[in-house]
Amino acid sequence: MVEHLAEMIIPEDDTAGAKKAGVAEFIDFMVANRVPVSTSRDIRSTDDAMAAGNDAQNRFLAGLDWMNARSRSEFGREFMDCAPEQQNSLMEELAYKAKFKPTTESGRAFFQMMRDYTVVGYYTTEIGLKSIGYPGLRVVWPKMPGCAHPDDPEHANLRQPATPGISTQPSKN
Amino acid sequence: MYDAIVVGTGAGGGTAMKILCEAGLKVCAINSGPRTDPENDYRNHRQVYDLKYRGYGDPLRLKGKAHQEPYSVEESEYSEGRDLFEHDIAYSNAPGTDWYWKRCKATGGKANFWGRSSARFGDIDFKAADLDGVGENWPVDYAEISPWFSKAERYMGVASTIQNRPSNPDGEYLPPMAFRCIDYIIQKGAEKIGVPYLPDRCAQLTTDHNHHPACHYCGNCSRGCDVGSFFSPTWFTIPEAEATKNLTLLTNSLVRSVLVDESGTAKGVAYVDRATRKEVEVYAKVVVLAASCVETAHIMLNSKSHHWPTGIANSSGQLGRNLCEHLYGSPGYGYLPRLLGQPATPDNIADSTVAWMPRWQNLKNPREEKFVRGYSVYMGGGCGEFPGYYGQIEGFGPGFKRDLKRYYATTIGALIQAPTLPSPTNYVDIDPEKKDTFGIPQLRFHFQWGPNELLMWEHSKQVMIDLFKAMGGELWGVDDQPNRPGTSLHETGVCRFGNDSKTSVTNKWAQTHDVPNLYICDASIFPNCTDKTTTMPIVAFTMRTCDHMLNNFKKGVHKRA
Repeated sequence: MVEHLAEMIIPEDDTAGAKKAGVAEFIDFMVANRVPVSTSRDIRSTDDAMAAGNDAQNRFLAGLDWMNARSRSEFGREFMDCAPEQQNSLMEELAYKAKFKPTTESGRAFFQMMRDYTVVGYYTTEIGLKSIGYPGLRVVWPKMPGCAHPDDPEHANLRQPATPGISTQPSKN
Repeated sequence: MYDAIVVGTGAGGGTAMKILCEAGLKVCAINSGPRTDPENDYRNHRQVYDLKYRGYGDPLRLKGKAHQEPYSVEESEYSEGRDLFEHDIAYSNAPGTDWYWKRCKATGGKANFWGRSSARFGDIDFKAADLDGVGENWPVDYAEISPWFSKAERYMGVASTIQNRPSNPDGEYLPPMAFRCIDYIIQKGAEKIGVPYLPDRCAQLTTDHNHHPACHYCGNCSRGCDVGSFFSPTWFTIPEAEATKNLTLLTNSLVRSVLVDESGTAKGVAYVDRATRKEVEVYAKVVVLAASCVETAHIMLNSKSHHWPTGIANSSGQLGRNLCEHLYGSPGYGYLPRLLGQPATPDNIADSTVAWMPRWQNLKNPREEKFVRGYSVYMGGGCGEFPGYYGQIEGFGPGFKRDLKRYYATTIGALIQAPTLPSPTNYVDIDPEKKDTFGIPQLRFHFQWGPNELLMWEHSKQVMIDLFKAMGGELWGVDDQPNRPGTSLHETGVCRFGNDSKTSVTNKWAQTHDVPNLYICDASIFPNCTDKTTTMPIVAFTMRTCDHMLNNFKKGVHKRA
C-alpha cells in the first residue's frame, strides 16, 4: 500500500516514479528505524529523537489504518481494492484545501506525512535527482558557469524550453 | 619547555603555529580533538543516496553523549562516527538563554567547513564608537590593519571585485565567481530600491593559488574540501607548520587552564588527555590561546590563582563579558515567476555566496536609521540539492511532480547578518555547579537579543518585501523568529582588546594587559561584531600579533626556551 501511495504522489511520467526509485523501501526503512523527516520538532537529545521517531512510526501506521477505514466507509472496501478514481478522490480530499471535508483532520495530517516521506525518498535517489536536473550529480567542473543570457539581464524574455513534462505557462514580463 | 604553546588549531591557532614555527620557535600546539583526515572525514563527492539514512543520520548516533544535540550544516551524516564535533563536553545556558554552541574539535576546527565570506573591516567598524557613541572603539585603525588584510588575502586566496565602498574596503582579489541568472535579476531589483548587490569576498580559489588547486565546484565545501581549494588549516597552515620540524602537535588534548608562576606570569597550560583522562602540564615561555572565542574565555576563567582570583588576566573584570554575536535569520524567501519552467542551471555548485547585499545603512550619517551600525544580507537560491520548496505546492500526482520541476530554478532566499551590540546581559561565565565529564567546570552562557539588532531584523523584512516587488518576485514567507543565538558561529567580545586596561582584557597587539606573555589569536579580541564575518580578520590579526610577539622575542621581552 505504501508503494502504491508513493507512486500516486510521484508517478512515472517522462521519468521514473516513486516505485522504480525504491521509495517504498526507503519509507519502510525510515519508519521501522524511527527516523522522521517532517521537521516540526526541536531535537535536542537522543531521547527527543527517539520520541519523534516513535511518534512518526505510530502516526504512520495509524494513518495507513485511517486510509482503510475511510475507504471502507466511503466505498465499502479496503483502499487497495478500490478503483483508481476512488483512490484518487479519497486522496484529493486530503490533499487540496478546496476539497477538505470535516473530520478528516488526521487523514490530512497523514497525507502530509506520507508526502513528506515520498518527496524525501524520491529526491534523495539518483533517479529523483536526475529527474529534477540536479546539477550536483556532476562533481567536477572546469569553472562556475554564469548566466547564459547576457543580452537579457532581467530575464524577461526567456524562451520556454520544449522539453516534455514542463509546464507551458508563459512567464510574466 | 617550548618557546610557545598554541591552544587550538583553527583559523587563528593554525596561523599562529605556522608563523611561529617558520620563525624557528619550538611550538607545542594543543588540539582538543582528533586529527582531521580529509580522505575519511569529508564528503568526498558522495551523493546523498550513498548515505544509509539519506542525510538524516542514525537517530541513536549521539546516545550516551554528554551533549546530545546534533549540530546543523557542518556536522552531517557524511562525517558520522568520525568524532570531529564536540559532544563529550557539555555547556550550560542560564535560564532564559538559548545559546546554540556548535563546536568542531578536530584539527582545523570550524575553519575546515567555513562559509568563506571574507570582507575587510573598515574604519566605519573600527571607529564605530566615535561615530555613534555606543560601546568602545577598536584600538586600531584601517591604515595600520590594511597591510595585514592584504597579507591574509594573499595567503588565503580571496575572489572578488573592486567596489570602491569604504564601508567594505577593497582588497587583493582573485577573479570573482560568475553571476548566475538569479544574481542579475536580484541586482536589477536591488538597484531599483537603492540597495547594493555585489560579489561577496569569497575565499574560494577561482584560480590555482600558491600550491593549491583551483576549485572544481563539487559543492561539498561545508562538509570539507577534498583538495584544499579554499583556505583551511588542514590544507594550508598545519602542513606548513609541520614541514618546519619545529611543531609538536598534541591531539585529543583538552586544555583546562593556563598555569602561572609565583609572579603571576604564564608558564604553560594544563590539559586533560582524553584517552587516559589524566591531567598533563606543558610549559612554555609564551602561551597563545586560540581555542575559539568563548572557549578561550572559558579556559581563562578557569585559570584561577591567588594572582588571578577571577581568572587569569582579568583585572578589568571584562573577561567573558561583552559577548557579541550575529543575529541570523531569513527575512524573506520566495520565488521568481519569470524563471518558471526554465531548465536547471548549476547555481550552487560553488556551495557559497556568490553575491550579497553588503551593509548600506547608516553609511553617511551614523543615525539615519532607527538602529545604529548596520547589517548585510546574503542572498541565494536557484537549483539546490533538494526541492525544499515542495511545501508551497499543493497536492500530488503528475501535476505536483511537474510543478516541483517547474519551480526548481526559481527560488530565492535571504540570510541577514546583523551584529549585536555589547550589553551587560550578554556574557559567559563558569557554571557554579556543573562540571564536565573530566571534572572541568562548564562554561555558561547569558544572552538576549537587544533592541538594536531586533530593529535591524524588522528593517530587513521590509527590505525583502520591497526587493521582491522590485524583482517581480513572490514572497512565500519569512522566519517568525531569528535563528538561535550562536548559530552564526561568529561570536566575539569576551577578551576584547583596547588601549585602556581597565575596560579591556587585551591590548592592541592581542597581548593580555595583565600577563604580557599571554596572547590571544581568535575572535575573542574583537570588541564587537560588524556586518561582516570574522575568519579572514582572525587570520590577519593573528599574523600581526605573531609579528609583534616575534619582535618581543628579538628584543628580549620574551626569552627563548
